[in-house]
Amino acid sequence: MKESFKIALAQLSCKRADKKKNFEKMENLITKAAEQNAELIIFPELSLTGYVVRDEIYNLAETIPGPSTKAMEHLAKKAGLYVIFGMPELSEKAKATIYNSAVLVGPEGFIGKYRKMYLPTHSVFEEKRYFRPGYEAVALNTKLGKLGLMICYDIFFPEVSRLTRLKGAMLIVCISASPAVRKAFFEALTVARAMENAAFLAYVNLVGIEDGLQFWGGSRLVGPNGKILAQAKYDDEDLVMCDVNYSDIKPVETFAPTLKDLRPELFDALKKSAEHL
Amino acid sequence: MKLTPDVLELDWSETAEKIKRFIRDYVVKSGAKGIVLGLSGGIDSCSTAALSALAIGGKNVLALMLPEKETYNAQDIKHAEIVVEKFGLRREKIDITPALKAFYNSIPVFDPEDNLCKGNIKARTRMIYIYYYANKFGMLVCGSSDKSEAMMGYFTKWGDMAADLSPIMDLYKTQVRKLARYIGIPKEIVTKPSSPALWPGQVAEEELGISYELLDLILHGLEHFMKTKEIANQLGIKKDVVEKVKKRWLYAEHKRRMPLTTKIEYRTVGADFRLPRSIY
Repeated sequence: MKESFKIALAQLSCKRADKKKNFEKMENLITKAAEQNAELIIFPELSLTGYVVRDEIYNLAETIPGPSTKAMEHLAKKAGLYVIFGMPELSEKAKATIYNSAVLVGPEGFIGKYRKMYLPTHSVFEEKRYFRPGYEAVALNTKLGKLGLMICYDIFFPEVSRLTRLKGAMLIVCISASPAVRKAFFEALTVARAMENAAFLAYVNLVGIEDGLQFWGGSRLVGPNGKILAQAKYDDEDLVMCDVNYSDIKPVETFAPTLKDLRPELFDALKKSAEHL
Repeated sequence: MKLTPDVLELDWSETAEKIKRFIRDYVVKSGAKGIVLGLSGGIDSCSTAALSALAIGGKNVLALMLPEKETYNAQDIKHAEIVVEKFGLRREKIDITPALKAFYNSIPVFDPEDNLCKGNIKARTRMIYIYYYANKFGMLVCGSSDKSEAMMGYFTKWGDMAADLSPIMDLYKTQVRKLARYIGIPKEIVTKPSSPALWPGQVAEEELGISYELLDLILHGLEHFMKTKEIANQLGIKKDVVEKVKKRWLYAEHKRRMPLTTKIEYRTVGADFRLPRSIY
């Protein structure tokens, strides 16, 4: 496993419901990132289709693995790096059951996927109308160590990142499609999730305007001590290169040993209380 | 939440940027050749015209000044001209009096004393002129309604609210005034009493029966799910005043939506046809 490596935060805007155009855009960015020696490139939530596609989602969703992930595998192999992107995933067992998923492919091919667990259905969001929630946190094995995956609103719930950390992820990746009114939450929570888990956290947000929603970008890499190691532009497309060095974790883990001090018995109490809100 | 004027404060620079970005994005993605809007000389249309010019350049914004004899106001025309000049807009001035007269004379039941029905003809006639230019020259119609008007239903259905985009509709009137000052709309335009100018002497705050300063705080409270009693207590006003505003806001929902139909088939316009708006 590599101790240090370069990653690319690919903050893009999407052409809605146009997988071909978005794929081409991602292909260009993958080439650019590879040229700059990145070993992992991360795209935003639902970057294959755009976020506000509403009923069109039924025409856009694909199985994973499926045609788009196969094509992305090919790109990852060719460029020799890992790629994380978001897409609507059609269940293999049903005809219109869809997940909001993150996909990880790499030089070795398809590695895994994560299905968003917390689907916002309030304010301007209507995800539960379209998506079935996932049921499992994931930390996927790569040559860059285990990568934890989560999607946007998941970050409001510390248990998702904590589960990926307990499964061994030292780099937690959160792909997102967050409109501007929520910037303050994400800027605080990205730092908090990194610090409480003594892990790196890469946050990659969408930009552009979809049905009046302005996605604010501001993608970032946060170190285990909460330091913002890299920050993309607000509101505009950007490709930011930054370095992850796992040797930074040990000093934080000794200084604020949140993992050592975890109290498993409290989670039983938490479960009971959460059932009776 | 404390209902003080502070709750309506925004970062005006950021707000202006958001609105400009929204206008630019919509025009570019739609492939339109520019924007056409009605410019009355009032705070809302002056601000919208200015923001449009700042977003896509004044030469791409056509301001239509559409006065008519009955409500002709030289000061409003002067204010419109100031904004045209300052923001480099294209402009056209058309007297719509003959068109209005043709309507009045051809409607068998026309009642010249009924200000509301007559005033609505004026707003809808202006809409026809604006959309003609939009169709003819491949431009988008930009609406100037603000959030106070939109929530209160203080507009003409299919009249002044008819537009392709409405960039300031999420800002209350008092917020528009602050934004207007920030982007350089002259003080005399910002401070004059608002009027839809549908009949002579019409003043918005008199007709609504409440000042915008108070109305906007009530609406802000309702927007944030506050109870009418709590709003009234905080603002030191009678609960009836708040109830009246709430009732008017809820009653006007029909003016803000697609026409209602009844569900018969599989997917229905305005109900469960949930499509993205213009995929570009």
